[in-house]
Amino acid sequence: MKIGLEIHLQLPTTSKLFCSCSTSATEPNEAICPTCLGFPGSRPRLNRKALEMGLMIAKRLECRIPDVIWFSRKTYFYPDLPKNFQITQYESPIGVDGKFLFDGKTIRILRVHLEEDPGKIKRVGRVGEELSLIDYNRSGVPLVEIVTAPDLSTPKEARDFTSSLITELRYLIGISDKDEQTVRVDANISVAEERVEVKNILGLRNLERALEFEFVRQSKMLRAGKKIPRETRRYDEERKVTLPAREKEFEEDYGYILEPDLGVFNVGEIAELMAIPETPLMRVERLSREYGIGLSEAKKIVFTSYALADLFEDLYSKYPTSKALSWILDQLAANWSTLEKKMTEDMRNSILTTIGSILSGSISENEGRKMLVSIIKGEEFVGASQELNNQEVTKIICSILNDHPEIISDYKTNKRAANFVIGQVMKVFKGRYSSDEVAKLVINEIERRLSR
Amino acid sequence: MDKQEVNEIARIARLALSDEEIEEFSSDLEDILSYFSVMDEAPTRDDFMLNPVMIENVMRDDEQYQVIDPEILRQSMKVFEGYVRGPRLS
Amino acid sequence: MSDKLSFEFLTRLNEKYKIFSQLINEEEFLKAEGRYHFHFSAKDNLCTIDFQSRAGSRILDGYTPPFDATAVRRLRISGGLLIGKTNMDEFGFGTFCTNSAYGVPRNPFDPDRSCGGSSGGAAATVALLDGHIALAVSTGGSISCPASFCGVIGITPTYGRVSRYGLIDYSNSLDKIGLICRSATDLRTYLPLISGPDSLDPTSCSQPILDLSSSRIKRIGIPKEAMEGISGEVEAAFRKAIEITEEQLSIKVEEVSMSSLRFALPAYYVLATSEASTNLARYCGMRFGIVKDDVNAHFNTFFSEVRSKFFGKEAKRRILLGTYCRRIGFRDRYYLKALSVRQIVKEEYLRIFQDFDLVVMPTMPFIAPRFSDIQKMKPLDMYKADFLTVPPNLVGMPHISLPCGYYHGIPIGFQLVAPHWEERRLLHFAECWESVFEYQFPEVKL
Repeated sequence: MKIGLEIHLQLPTTSKLFCSCSTSATEPNEAICPTCLGFPGSRPRLNRKALEMGLMIAKRLECRIPDVIWFSRKTYFYPDLPKNFQITQYESPIGVDGKFLFDGKTIRILRVHLEEDPGKIKRVGRVGEELSLIDYNRSGVPLVEIVTAPDLSTPKEARDFTSSLITELRYLIGISDKDEQTVRVDANISVAEERVEVKNILGLRNLERALEFEFVRQSKMLRAGKKIPRETRRYDEERKVTLPAREKEFEEDYGYILEPDLGVFNVGEIAELMAIPETPLMRVERLSREYGIGLSEAKKIVFTSYALADLFEDLYSKYPTSKALSWILDQLAANWSTLEKKMTEDMRNSILTTIGSILSGSISENEGRKMLVSIIKGEEFVGASQELNNQEVTKIICSILNDHPEIISDYKTNKRAANFVIGQVMKVFKGRYSSDEVAKLVINEIERRLSR
Repeated sequence: MDKQEVNEIARIARLALSDEEIEEFSSDLEDILSYFSVMDEAPTRDDFMLNPVMIENVMRDDEQYQVIDPEILRQSMKVFEGYVRGPRLS
Repeated sequence: MSDKLSFEFLTRLNEKYKIFSQLINEEEFLKAEGRYHFHFSAKDNLCTIDFQSRAGSRILDGYTPPFDATAVRRLRISGGLLIGKTNMDEFGFGTFCTNSAYGVPRNPFDPDRSCGGSSGGAAATVALLDGHIALAVSTGGSISCPASFCGVIGITPTYGRVSRYGLIDYSNSLDKIGLICRSATDLRTYLPLISGPDSLDPTSCSQPILDLSSSRIKRIGIPKEAMEGISGEVEAAFRKAIEITEEQLSIKVEEVSMSSLRFALPAYYVLATSEASTNLARYCGMRFGIVKDDVNAHFNTFFSEVRSKFFGKEAKRRILLGTYCRRIGFRDRYYLKALSVRQIVKEEYLRIFQDFDLVVMPTMPFIAPRFSDIQKMKPLDMYKADFLTVPPNLVGMPHISLPCGYYHGIPIGFQLVAPHWEERRLLHFAECWESVFEYQFPEVKL
């Protein structure tokens, strides 16, 4: 089975693609103007932010970005299309020949381009006689269209791919949380040779269902010895089936011409200078590669939180052992969201120090675990006797000094270098000891090391 | 140009033509397109421009504002409960 | 000048010559009396808040835009009173202004003859009213042609010089807003007012500043291809004008060859109709203009009915042509080829301009034809009448038509073309020309 997707996502700009109407209206036909209504005499003007977002997406998908792009007119007649043509990109998409690494598989991205959305139609009346009621708030909203090669193999994979893509783009340009339900996909699926297109599928759940239905439908036909006609279908959400497309608006010769009103755009330069922030999957791939950990572990860390991934990198670079990994995954990842909310710089350092001590053997795993729990809970740690405590404290001091050898040399010229260590120890033990007591032990240890 | 072709073009352009019109346009288009074919003698260039003068990188900031009251725009269309009424879809 | 104008005079003028599709109403006119610096009109494809904007078409009947075209707004804020919308060929489709749904304007020099098109009403108004400034639009020669037929000055600025915001589109890469008036002084006064970048029209934002400082014209060229197929009277007037130019203005005139000109007309019509066929797709009985009440029809039938009923014949013809030229399988041969030709013609002009300051030719191949003769013309014949005005329009270079002779009292014009952005050369020539040639204006008999 081969599945290819054409994914349409709304870009989260404040204003529309070609006019300054808002993209977030609530009442019907509220965010409208002569341009997005196609009134005679109106004219389009390109939204810079939409172009930039499109370029970031093209870059993230490793597309080849041309030096110059322009827009085209795609002409067809439908009540939701105010000009009866859509301004889109035909011969000059903002990116071609890209790829997206997904679950170890490379999915080829054929093209990425920008286009304006038509309005939204509400069908009212009896089936077969429906009238249209149109809300033009959506008309002119910027869309990015991402077209894949038919490299996806199952409906679930198609869904997971799209979901991952959305997550990446959410990080990159900040698309909304609702996008999993509002993404519009045209899918083409072939079980044998002939390709069937299913158009206008709304949301990921419907995507998977539509593809599953098609797979079953096509397989049945093949088993019965029938040939699968190449056609365009649509997905009926309520009945959960695909049906032949009822209106012929898809079988048009669009008669593309260039759109002279906007001119051309030198995007090669803009794209070159653009820096893409590290998106979640990019980070997963890097962690796996740089630190030699498995993809699923890397995913678990990154998808819990970037802050956890930061912690992991800080820890693992010093202690590259599987134990370090499991401390992060088992002890911290689970309750990370609550933890992250109350995380402070000090707490973070304490956690690092404590785990470090455990890993370097300064303290036992048991003690370490208890200390961590109390750090996380923000409680006082109830420990053993004074004798043992001195040992414990010293162990912590040693751990800190091992991690920060520069303090020892700094101390030679500036006694106040010791304060950092004192402070850290105080925090680990939650002020159980007086700073004098701790200071004594710290200075002892530093001077012992200096005299060696 | 044959009438079937004129019919097809008229359909694409959403023009319902009478038989006389089809007859007339068929002959007109034949003449005119035949005249256009002199362009076959001109060389093809791939460095053509979109506009007669260079128009490049003209963009606007992503700010939202409205200059014309949407109520005025709604008044010029046939609106029902805020929605624009449109024809049947099937 | 403005105090000589009376409402009654305007009304009677319009009754006889059919220049306005809409005239200012008496109340507004009287209110404005004494409070404006000049009066102007706008071709009916320019959006105006206080008048309908129907572009000469029945399908836009009822469309009163909620905004002014920038060119209109700029003249208003400079003290201009908009006295009416002038008649035009539907959407700009025509050379004789006979495709106007709201009245066919009559030539002020001879009411049995055409005013030229598509800005026929605009040119006639200027010929009839002293001191009047008419906003007009050219796609393939719709300012030059009527200016020539009506014995007035018509300037078509460089493409992108005047903002097209508020212009009801014919062809976006070819439309230009310009002026029709009686004197070079008027050009100098009013051209700067409407020119200049406008953020509402991106294609107006790449222009260098309009520079009308003095210029020197030393050498002008006549493309020899332009002299083929010209009527005897036009040729005679043109040659005489060239003589005057050489002898009294001391400008050298030479013949040049521009072999690419023969491709210009077909390329123009292909591009113009291709773009027009998409621009006119929006007229479908929803949202503006003719808005049909009966929505209980399938949308394809609904659209087709309105369009077929309310578009004129020439509009349908051009929509069909344009749709054809962009179809799969024809697009390369027609639409894309036309874009190539534009490049070729532009380069040929640029080569000529290395040695010449201006290019000159008669504006039209004949004088304003009689309506009875126009009826006998076939569509292709009408298109071919544009062969002199189309080349500069195709490449977006500024050009001007100036009256240069009269045949039994009927005006003849000649057209000068300058490189992109060099409107000052045209103004300079116009000023010089006025000093050696006297314009005649018609006697207005009501």
